[in-house]
Amino acid sequence: MKHEQNHTTPMRYGMAIDLDKCTGCGACMTACMAENNVPFKEDESDKLVSITWMRIFELNNGKAFPDTDICYLPRPCQHCEGHGGHSPCVSVCPATATDYSQETGIVSQIYTRCFGCRYCMGACPYHARYFNWWDPVWPDGMEKYLSPNVSVRMRGVVEKCSFCFHRYQLAKNQVYLDGERKVPEADYQTACTQACPAGAIVFGDLNNPEHQVHQIVKPDSENGNKSRNPRAFRLLERLGTNTKVYYLSNREWVRRAGDNYLAHEKTGQVSKPHH
Amino acid sequence: MKVDRRSFLSFVIGGAAGTALSPLPWKLMDDSSIWSQMWPWTPVPPDGEVVYEDSTCTLCPGGCGISVRKVDHRAVKIEGKKGHPVNDGGICILGLSGLQLLYGPTRIKSPMKRIGERGQGKWQKISWDEAMAILTEKLSDIRNKGEAHTVAAIAGTEGGTVPALLQRFMTAYGSPNFIRTPSHQDADELAVKTLFGASGRTGFDLENADYILSFGSGIVDGWGSPVRMFRASSLWKEKNVTVVQVEPRLSNSAAKATRWIPVNPGTEADLALGIAAVMIAQNMVDPGAVAGAGGWENQLLANYGTKKVSQVTGVDAGVILELAKGFAKANRPLALCGRGKGLVAESLRETAAVYALNALTGNINQEGGMWAIPEADYIRWPDVASDELASAGLAQPRLDGAGTGRYAGARHLLNRLADAVNGGGPYPLQALLVAGANPCYDLPDTRSVRMALERIPFIVSFSSFNDETAAMADLLLPDHVYLERYGDVPVGAGLAQQVIGLSKPVVSPQFNTRHLGETLIVAARTMGGATADAFPWDNYETCLEETLAEKWDALIEEGIWVEADIAPVADTVRLAVTDAPAVQAEGDVNSFPLLLIPYDSIRLSSGYIGDPPFMIKTVSGTVVKGKDGFIEINPQTASATGLSEGSVATLTTPRGEARVRVHLFEGIQPGVVAMARGLGHTAYDGYLAGKGVNVNELIGPVEDPSSGHDAAWGIRAKLAKA
Amino acid sequence: MSTLDKKAKEAMDDDTAHASGGGDNGAGGFIILFFIIGFAASMVLGWVVFPKLLYSQKQQPFSFNHALHVGEVDEGCESCHFFREDGSFSGIPKLAQCTDCHEEPMGETEDEAIFVEQYVAKEREVPWFSYSRQPDCVFFSHAAHVVGAKMDCVACHGHIGESERSRPYEYNRLTGYSRDIWGKNIAGFKNNSWDRMKMDDCAQCHKEAGIIHTSSVQTQRDACFVCHK
Repeated sequence: MKHEQNHTTPMRYGMAIDLDKCTGCGACMTACMAENNVPFKEDESDKLVSITWMRIFELNNGKAFPDTDICYLPRPCQHCEGHGGHSPCVSVCPATATDYSQETGIVSQIYTRCFGCRYCMGACPYHARYFNWWDPVWPDGMEKYLSPNVSVRMRGVVEKCSFCFHRYQLAKNQVYLDGERKVPEADYQTACTQACPAGAIVFGDLNNPEHQVHQIVKPDSENGNKSRNPRAFRLLERLGTNTKVYYLSNREWVRRAGDNYLAHEKTGQVSKPHH
Repeated sequence: MKVDRRSFLSFVIGGAAGTALSPLPWKLMDDSSIWSQMWPWTPVPPDGEVVYEDSTCTLCPGGCGISVRKVDHRAVKIEGKKGHPVNDGGICILGLSGLQLLYGPTRIKSPMKRIGERGQGKWQKISWDEAMAILTEKLSDIRNKGEAHTVAAIAGTEGGTVPALLQRFMTAYGSPNFIRTPSHQDADELAVKTLFGASGRTGFDLENADYILSFGSGIVDGWGSPVRMFRASSLWKEKNVTVVQVEPRLSNSAAKATRWIPVNPGTEADLALGIAAVMIAQNMVDPGAVAGAGGWENQLLANYGTKKVSQVTGVDAGVILELAKGFAKANRPLALCGRGKGLVAESLRETAAVYALNALTGNINQEGGMWAIPEADYIRWPDVASDELASAGLAQPRLDGAGTGRYAGARHLLNRLADAVNGGGPYPLQALLVAGANPCYDLPDTRSVRMALERIPFIVSFSSFNDETAAMADLLLPDHVYLERYGDVPVGAGLAQQVIGLSKPVVSPQFNTRHLGETLIVAARTMGGATADAFPWDNYETCLEETLAEKWDALIEEGIWVEADIAPVADTVRLAVTDAPAVQAEGDVNSFPLLLIPYDSIRLSSGYIGDPPFMIKTVSGTVVKGKDGFIEINPQTASATGLSEGSVATLTTPRGEARVRVHLFEGIQPGVVAMARGLGHTAYDGYLAGKGVNVNELIGPVEDPSSGHDAAWGIRAKLAKA
Repeated sequence: MSTLDKKAKEAMDDDTAHASGGGDNGAGGFIILFFIIGFAASMVLGWVVFPKLLYSQKQQPFSFNHALHVGEVDEGCESCHFFREDGSFSGIPKLAQCTDCHEEPMGETEDEAIFVEQYVAKEREVPWFSYSRQPDCVFFSHAAHVVGAKMDCVACHGHIGESERSRPYEYNRLTGYSRDIWGKNIAGFKNNSWDRMKMDDCAQCHKEAGIIHTSSVQTQRDACFVCHK
């Protein structure tokens, strides 16, 4: 019964989102809700308590008519690696309910383990985590569309984007059956990536040079995984959260919006990992 | 023996020791923690075998291919179909929410007849037999009195066998009043007829164009076939294609464009003609492109000088020159029109002006250009043999006046129906059939539409959902939703090809509903005589299979049929002198200093389908907050009125007034107020009803002088702090 | 008895030494007796009554003879419990699989009659109770274990293939879990690898097989997302 270990290079699943292509259409948000059994209430206009694992923010350049410009920014969980997997939320969770996997680079959330202290929500700089203030209730008959691949979350726990980890698990099944070793790039894609009608989201293993996301991002492992692509930036990059979601834009004001830059500061700076 | 205290304590201690050594406390602790982790009332979706079933989405005219993921018999997710020529795996927000429509509580679950007052919402479930008896008896009565023409039918579309069956039913029955809901398709068809001299529609080879000049078309806001448009938009980014968006408001399409040209609302046609005039004046026109245009060119040069156009449109003269040069010098320029999603017909003047621009560049029926192609023509049923009653009915004029007199160019004028019923028409209506349309919500000036419907004694709704119009009906004969039925979907929506999609039942019908095609066949057969003779099919499926003939097998197999080699309806464009004036907004400037324009958002379904909960959830807090709907205004306009972000105001137009909240937006022209379409429902359920304002309650139709189509692009308005 | 009462009162008033001394003369036996009674009663409650209260029994729709079927098919368990093309595990067979053979009754037994009359004829799925279904928060990959690690079905499911009758399905009234997850033994003791199916059992087996990943930053063990969803 001794099982052979696959000591292959660990993966770092991540995303590159082209903000110049993103139209803010909301397909990613909805694909995510449909894929992950995200509940909804009659009034979802209070966005502080509206659960959206993927959420689109609207940025503007602050200029007056007619020079104003807007840009949409889809925000999934950024799956921070921090330094050595110590992402902000994982570091503060007292229940081992959220965890960083060195094998996939995915920050997990186990709902049955979570007891709802919400430290992680306080720690997350991206507002990517949501608390279930209410029991999820579907209107009569609508629970028929719920997917068995993702657990429905009960009241009192925190939830967030999982990079559709269940799709990885399912792809892995296939891999076992086919006798392969690794999940092929096309077989593990998140629901938002798949749905995006503009093709703005690219998802894959940042460590794998054959994956499109690696080729776009060209992460510099010597420099805190900063992208070598001049169009790319990460949110609050100087915080050292070492996120795995990269954004791309040709527009300087958009790249500037990714962090709190002072007037004299230039974009594209990143702190070295803390030791 | 008496139990003393010490013995009792000893008993308790023994009990405690025993309990500690028994599994009871440990097991209970484990179980209760599990219990609290997984409350029994949290649903656990049953697992099973996963299969994908392909079909075609019919929630909008876009015709996307979908793959529905099923777990055993439950549909759990809708995804875009990979490799489909229209959407290749992509899908829009409405398509993704389809299962909420299928399984949602807004479905009408059985045939019903009204038992309370109209609109009171009191219904009685009845059997299909009883329902069909009510329908056919009522219709037979009217027909036997020789008044068949006093029955009208409103359909969401004309394309496909089901609307064709409804149209055929009306013809066989003897009524000329089959009316399609308005859209930019009306203006497009008329423009093709006027410019090319033949029936057809336009198609745009967007993917191969290298300069896009869009006059308000919501390229990424739901215009045309939305997913195809998103894909085209990304393709243009990759190929550095210049996209110019002409629009008074910084829409998502404007934000995605290379350049946004803010223009005075309603003056897009003037700008198009101004650009054309520059092209002609500077000799930047493809010489062989237009026929008989001499008079037109002279008129253009005389009336659309750059300076004048600049004044009218608010676009700088230099910018007009620049646009003309950019457009004319591009290899494959392409101009588009139809505001937002193209929900309003718009004026012939505007549509023809934009098509003329295309013609001037010589891109007609060329790669990367505008194509004029015939509608897919596969429904070839024998002509209806009318009996005496039918012939008499058909001899009557249409209630909406379309096709005759000053409305000779129009085929459908639903925007005129309310007035006709409310007293302006040649005869009163005795019955109305509504299929795939929601006129009580969708048509401008909903109040007068509602008033008109109140005057009609018998209204039948075939809607699958309890929408605003179904709420006004006397008899509900609910149709299956698209995931439960067969249906052919001829895709227009700006595709430069003839494409037919097939939607197939993905799940079995969830409720006691019936396919509309089936309902019509049964109704016709029950009526008997010539009406029955026009419907020789045993059931809808036979009808569909026979109609599609050689395409059927391919459609079952592939789900889509793309017609190879379609010949354009004509190659030359005839530009004729017109004196049609620009369509003005209703209301006078002094009482209503502002302009209200509706805008379309891909996150809000603004047609017959109401927004499912997923879509409403994505709507920004600056569009709807609680029950309040927002308007967008420029901070300049706001400060002039003493309004700030979030303040409550009363918005008044000549057609109505509404309580709104204010969202300050730099991306809108000062003096203009914008409101999202698709809100303010009164029917459906708590997830949709009562949120925001239905902009159609504030806007009325404005007739295009050339056709009678509704060409309203806005209305004058005033805003006061509430 | 009244003397005992008095003594007890004295014990309360006097010092502890006196009280324990009082225990020696006669009452001590009672105290031990009561201790034993309490002890025995709670042991009976915990070991015998509690499991009966905690678990509710349900009978399967009809009895299924695994032994008979294993004898009839060629590929053992996998003949009916197979992997689907996508790598997922089919679990309990659907009616369609059964009717490949059972279109008509294939024997004289009462169970066969129930099956054909109630389910095959009416095209209803048999509402089997699954003994070994993991709770909703668990993602268990049969492929990883059966195909990847080449494990035997018996390792987790025991010798169910040799059973001739379906035993009653017992479920936990509090958690709704099948009793097989915690195991037949109320104390959770196990002798065989298939006696329990809790997370600790997964961990134990993984440890014994030397499959210890350290991918979890929190625990330096396997990451939670490997088996949870």
